Amino acid sequence: MTDQQVLVKALPAEPPPIARPAAGRRPRFDRQRIAMLLFIAPAALLYALMMIVPSLQSIQLSLTNWDGISPTFQYVGLRNYEDILTADRFWNAVKNTLILGLGSALIVNVIALAVAMMLDKLHHAQGFFRTIVYLPALVSGFIAATIWKYVLNYNFGAVNSTLKSLGLDAQTRDWLGDHDIVIGVLLFIICFTLGGNTTLIYLANLQSVPQELVEAARIDGASRAQVFRYVTWPMLAGAVTVNMTLMMIAGWTIFDQIMVLTLGGPGFVSETMAFFIYKVGFGEYRAGYGSAAAVVLFVVVMATTVIANRYMRSREIQA
Amino acid sequence: MSTGTERPGANLSRRTVVKAGAAAAVAAPALAACGPSAGGAGGGKTLIRFLYATGDATWNEVVAAVTEAFNAQSDNVVVEPEPLPAGTDYATALKTVDATGNWPALVDMRDTVTYMEAGKIAPIPESVTALLSDEVYAPSEDGSVYIVPSTALNGEIGFNIVYDKDYFEANGLAVPTTYAEFIALLDAIKANGDVPLAMAAAEIWPSDQIWKPLAAPTFAEYSEGGGFWNAVEAGEATIADLREPMERLKTNTDDYALDGWQSTQDAQTSTLLVNGQAVMATSSAGLGRLNDIAKVDPDYNAGLFVIPADDGTINVLKNSVNGDTASGIAISKQAEEDGAQYDAAVEFLEYYFSVEACNLMEATGVVSPNIKQGAEVKRNDSIPGAADYFGLLENPKLVWYENAPTNPNHSTFQTFFRQSRIEMMDDQITIDELIEKSQGEFEKNMAEG
Repeated sequence: MTDQQVLVKALPAEPPPIARPAAGRRPRFDRQRIAMLLFIAPAALLYALMMIVPSLQSIQLSLTNWDGISPTFQYVGLRNYEDILTADRFWNAVKNTLILGLGSALIVNVIALAVAMMLDKLHHAQGFFRTIVYLPALVSGFIAATIWKYVLNYNFGAVNSTLKSLGLDAQTRDWLGDHDIVIGVLLFIICFTLGGNTTLIYLANLQSVPQELVEAARIDGASRAQVFRYVTWPMLAGAVTVNMTLMMIAGWTIFDQIMVLTLGGPGFVSETMAFFIYKVGFGEYRAGYGSAAAVVLFVVVMATTVIANRYMRSREIQA
Repeated sequence: MSTGTERPGANLSRRTVVKAGAAAAVAAPALAACGPSAGGAGGGKTLIRFLYATGDATWNEVVAAVTEAFNAQSDNVVVEPEPLPAGTDYATALKTVDATGNWPALVDMRDTVTYMEAGKIAPIPESVTALLSDEVYAPSEDGSVYIVPSTALNGEIGFNIVYDKDYFEANGLAVPTTYAEFIALLDAIKANGDVPLAMAAAEIWPSDQIWKPLAAPTFAEYSEGGGFWNAVEAGEATIADLREPMERLKTNTDDYALDGWQSTQDAQTSTLLVNGQAVMATSSAGLGRLNDIAKVDPDYNAGLFVIPADDGTINVLKNSVNGDTASGIAISKQAEEDGAQYDAAVEFLEYYFSVEACNLMEATGVVSPNIKQGAEVKRNDSIPGAADYFGLLENPKLVWYENAPTNPNHSTFQTFFRQSRIEMMDDQITIDELIEKSQGEFEKNMAEG
């Protein structure tokens, strides 16, 4: 008898597959599940009433000329959509939304990753610096924007006052009123406010990169840049997907900063899609038109998020 | 047997858990409906809210003073002032309040016809209107009065230029009596190396403060036919007829306005004036602005004037007491449906138009509403510059004109027009482009109205 034959004999025979008795199958709605459903029912009901139903209703309203106040309205077919798609004001809002949404997503992710890598390398006072980085995220967008409004005020703001006291009068600007720079200023403020969460997500992922992989790469002679390119970066793919998706969604729906800082002005120059919807729906008594714009925004958000997510997910698989 | 270390509730049966879940499901919506009620009673009294536009500090103080005095003397009602911050134009904020479906009993109203036709405001009883002078209120088509004035109906005489009297005296300058003199005044101040004019447009609506006086001569030409906007709707005028005031607006902005007007808020112009950063400032609060300035700097010697027309006429829009441009206090339909809230609102308005309340308003710094017992009200002429304000009302060059658009969509257009004008002032578009896009938007809005 060969060794192999002995080993085969010693192994126990594979047990036959046990068919699960039908009687033991868990019923679809046992008491525990019913209890769980009952617990979530109030929240689900409220969510449906407050979010799902109004969202669906806005599709209906987008086909009407409702002013948002009157009890009656007429159906106008696709006229609101035609008006929106042919309005320069709408396309300007789309452009701003893309700049602020994509721009803030890219800038915040790059800066947050760099900051997270620096924090990851810190051996002392990491908690302190982590807190400092996260602090702006603790302040609501509305409050942060209000503070920035005072800081950037043309006549009394800290920025221009400081520039003047340094003899740099020529560098003072109407930061929130100059139509050439206002979108850039808004982008800066949005990035400043939204960076904290993104940094923490990257930091958590950096700290979970297996050190044996990093050490193996170094032993194989990889430089720091190569370690980052071929080890760290692929391991962060999941975090990049999450951060980019969150940032893009936040970017598409930027509202409070615009509301506080510029009201879409001067003129219409800094309107975003979310602000445009609010302005026409509430300020101009065109709820039907505003609903149509909201439907378009929904389509844009869904399409861009799905496409971007698909791309980033494919990158995760390669990684 | 309990060991004393079991988790609380660990021995609950599934039946108990299911029952608890069901109870929670039933109770949650009921709990959600709990909370402070706007119409609730406070100490046996009916509590009502008074929603008003915060603009100048003086108006805030007036509302606070009058409601406080009313609450102190009423046995049945407590009025709670609810300031609506002017983060954006008040009309937009009001629409947002409407969207919540939680109307206060008393509302500082704008776009009156729009809300009246939508059934959001209730008729005001004769017990209130009987206190007012006959010319300051009017019934609508259905015979009911829906709005009563919150202050004196002195039209848009509050849209004026506030200036530094001491500076004028020191430099031998005088209040202009024609538009040419106004431009000469701006040039003289500029030649001194000073900034002539502080303007505001951050909240969008303050941009009207310079626009309306400049456009007034053109608007006044159409007064007899019901106003300029009705003439444009009827095809008897076009927005191109406003080219000259648009050109003047552009000149005033480019050549004489303090930089940063695009992001300057209305209230900041008082500070700019008092700080000496500009010699004059636009305003729409009239006596209220003078009062604000006096509070900031009691020694500031302020005066005011209205930008005159070429021929020296001071064209001032008279108040519409019944159109979409009429503003004042209204009672909400929700209050009427409640009954008790409506009665409380009426009781407050009856006090609001009493001599006692009017004296309180005057003392706080606002010209009180025109009431039948107006002769008994003590006018406040102690505010620096107040004599200029009251002098305007007696000025022989003063001409009241009418401009009351009848199309309910006019509010929609005005919001667009205001922002488009700022685009032009800010060099984003030309005057030709402003005219073209405004005419197109006007026609579209009116057709839908």
